[in-house]
Amino acid sequence: MSTSRRPSAWVQLAAVFRKEVRQTARDPRMMFMLVAAPLIQTLVFGFAVDFTTDHVPTVLLDRDRTDVSRLYARQLLADGTLKRTLSAAGPDEVDRDLDDGAAAAAVILPSRLAADLGAHRTAEVQVVLDGTNPNQSTVAGAAASQYFGGVVERMARDRLAAAGRAPPAQLELMPRISYNPELKSPPYMIPGIAALLLLVVTTVVTAMGLAREREMGTLEQVMVTPIRPTVLLFGKIAPYVVIGFVDVMLLVTAGTWVFGVPIRGPLPVLVVGTLLYLLTTLGVGLLVSTISRTQQQSFLAGFLFIMPAVLLSGVMTPIRSMPAWLQAVTLVNPVRHYAELMRSCLLRGAGFGDLRVQLLALAAIGGAVFLAAALRFRTRLG
Amino acid sequence: MIRIGAMAAKETLHVLRDPRTLYLALVMPVVMLFLFGYGVSFDVDHLPLAVADLDRSEASRALVRTVTGARELVSVGEADPADADRLFRRDRAVAVLVIPRDYGEKVARHERVVLQLLADGSDVMVVNQVLAKADALVRAETLRLAGIDLAAAAAPLQVKIWTRYNPAGRSALFLVPGLSAYILALTAVLLTALTVAGEWERGSMEQLFATPVSRLEIVLGKLAPYLVIGMLELLLVVAFGAAVFDVPVRGSLGLFLLVGFFFLVGMLGQGLLISVVTRNQLVATQAGTLSSLLPSLLLSGMVVPIENMPWPLQLLSRVIPARYLVHALRGILLKGNGLSVLWPDLLAVAIFAVLVLYVSTARFQRRLA
Repeated sequence: MSTSRRPSAWVQLAAVFRKEVRQTARDPRMMFMLVAAPLIQTLVFGFAVDFTTDHVPTVLLDRDRTDVSRLYARQLLADGTLKRTLSAAGPDEVDRDLDDGAAAAAVILPSRLAADLGAHRTAEVQVVLDGTNPNQSTVAGAAASQYFGGVVERMARDRLAAAGRAPPAQLELMPRISYNPELKSPPYMIPGIAALLLLVVTTVVTAMGLAREREMGTLEQVMVTPIRPTVLLFGKIAPYVVIGFVDVMLLVTAGTWVFGVPIRGPLPVLVVGTLLYLLTTLGVGLLVSTISRTQQQSFLAGFLFIMPAVLLSGVMTPIRSMPAWLQAVTLVNPVRHYAELMRSCLLRGAGFGDLRVQLLALAAIGGAVFLAAALRFRTRLG
Repeated sequence: MIRIGAMAAKETLHVLRDPRTLYLALVMPVVMLFLFGYGVSFDVDHLPLAVADLDRSEASRALVRTVTGARELVSVGEADPADADRLFRRDRAVAVLVIPRDYGEKVARHERVVLQLLADGSDVMVVNQVLAKADALVRAETLRLAGIDLAAAAAPLQVKIWTRYNPAGRSALFLVPGLSAYILALTAVLLTALTVAGEWERGSMEQLFATPVSRLEIVLGKLAPYLVIGMLELLLVVAFGAAVFDVPVRGSLGLFLLVGFFFLVGMLGQGLLISVVTRNQLVATQAGTLSSLLPSLLLSGMVVPIENMPWPLQLLSRVIPARYLVHALRGILLKGNGLSVLWPDLLAVAIFAVLVLYVSTARFQRRLA
């Protein structure tokens, strides 16, 4: 009989939704952090993150000082991977430049280089790398060995020709790169960044928002109203779903306008994927808020989830670089699936058929997390 | 001094009475270090490569054996060049090697052959490695084909590559110093911002002001326990890094702690400033994330090379204290640098600490007047 006096679920839902929207929109700082902050972060990320390694500061020690050694030095530095910033007079100076970080690579051309090569004696070029940044030292090392490998091959060819023998067959690799032929960083980074920011914004805000209500005791006040816990839950979450979609739209638009990120795939894929993803991120936020008492705790706990989820998402570093057991762990990471979905849909133009694995995974993870969160939320309130 | 001690004791009680915060603050660094050490690496092996062998000769099979024989590229089977798009979209392969129909004949006639490599450019980091690896492997096949011919000519020029400080090129050594900066920024800024903003929210800050404790004493007392937590975290990260990932400590531990201390004070001051300005935990979190976490992650040179950024961001990175901390810690841990090299970094974090503490205390005072 009490149910007859209760307003219908939809009316209740609309009321909670309205209250939540009003509360959020009234605080301009809140709107700023929900909408403007992710946009700013995307722009900073887009401009800052460039993993292509070139212009490695290089110190050159040319102990030969002949036309040959100068030619080698010039050609080696010509492609821009290594960039000469210093010239050293002796080995001590090379050490010092590497120690204080003035250079990250050193190329040492031996004395008598030209003379030895002319006399068919073996000469040894030394390349010293600063290994503190393995990414950089690998690229610098590869550039040096590739250049000198070519020199060796050419010399060998010349000598064979001089000896009157036919040179061997020569294989040449011609790369053709699809989707992002100039290998620019933003088109590759921005879809992933969108996944990360959406996670940070929605998870932390739901977790802390609910913990705040509990701290201030307003959650108890709502509980004495006839609103059912499930309705309360959906009403509280619905505004963030809307905000999540607004954020995705903003980020993709900014990516397209500012960084030239293409949109090649069908938009419905993005919509469905985003919806399923938000189910997880909001669910985690809810779950965190039910296990923590204060805002501080819910923030830290939220971060404890966000941190590994971000690191194991393949956004910052390739998943294929992880050990096999860790790769298996990433399968339950919603961020991984959503980032793949975004990247694949925007850049490669993948549709529902290509992305069914990611969509199914997102649905399964999202459903499970949200169900668990909703059940816990209800028992906490009931 | 006694009053500072009392404030610190009160704050410590807060932290200890609810140890969940403490656990989270101390568990987080270990979890992050673990994940960074194992999970974050840029070097990729076993990249799936599809082969479109249009020649199907003895020679082309030998080429495929060389290219996929090493662990770097792994064959996922035969494919038609037209299938490349579908393979990429489903993530089945990252590249397709196309061997032309006349490959065997041309090799036999000692001619030049062009092999095509169709690559999926959507993951820039992976494709860069595919290109470098494929190039090296094809070069290896050229040398193998040349075999006896080139060997007779002997390699006239040898290149010796030495890698200092981190010969095995392990990512953990690179990341631990950066991670310290990140964890410190996270704990210091956010914990203080949240605690102090929490006191504003609950109104207990006003109660504190009714006591004879001066503003500066409140600030120092409130920051002290978090300074201890932060220093513990720093030690934890280095100890864990040394134990699990063999991160060396080649320089002076004293200098390490000194740089860490100043950085921490600066970050704590920044957290205080945020809390005074926002007075709301939710907003404080976002302000903290935007002003300290993100810069510490992105503009410090921790993961992303600073040299490649556009100049406005490079300029901005000069006022990010994490940049100096990361540089100093790398120098101390990996290179064994001393004060003679690292004094600019120490000076930078010290200046930042003093400046921020001054501004935040001033703001704090005025807020109450």
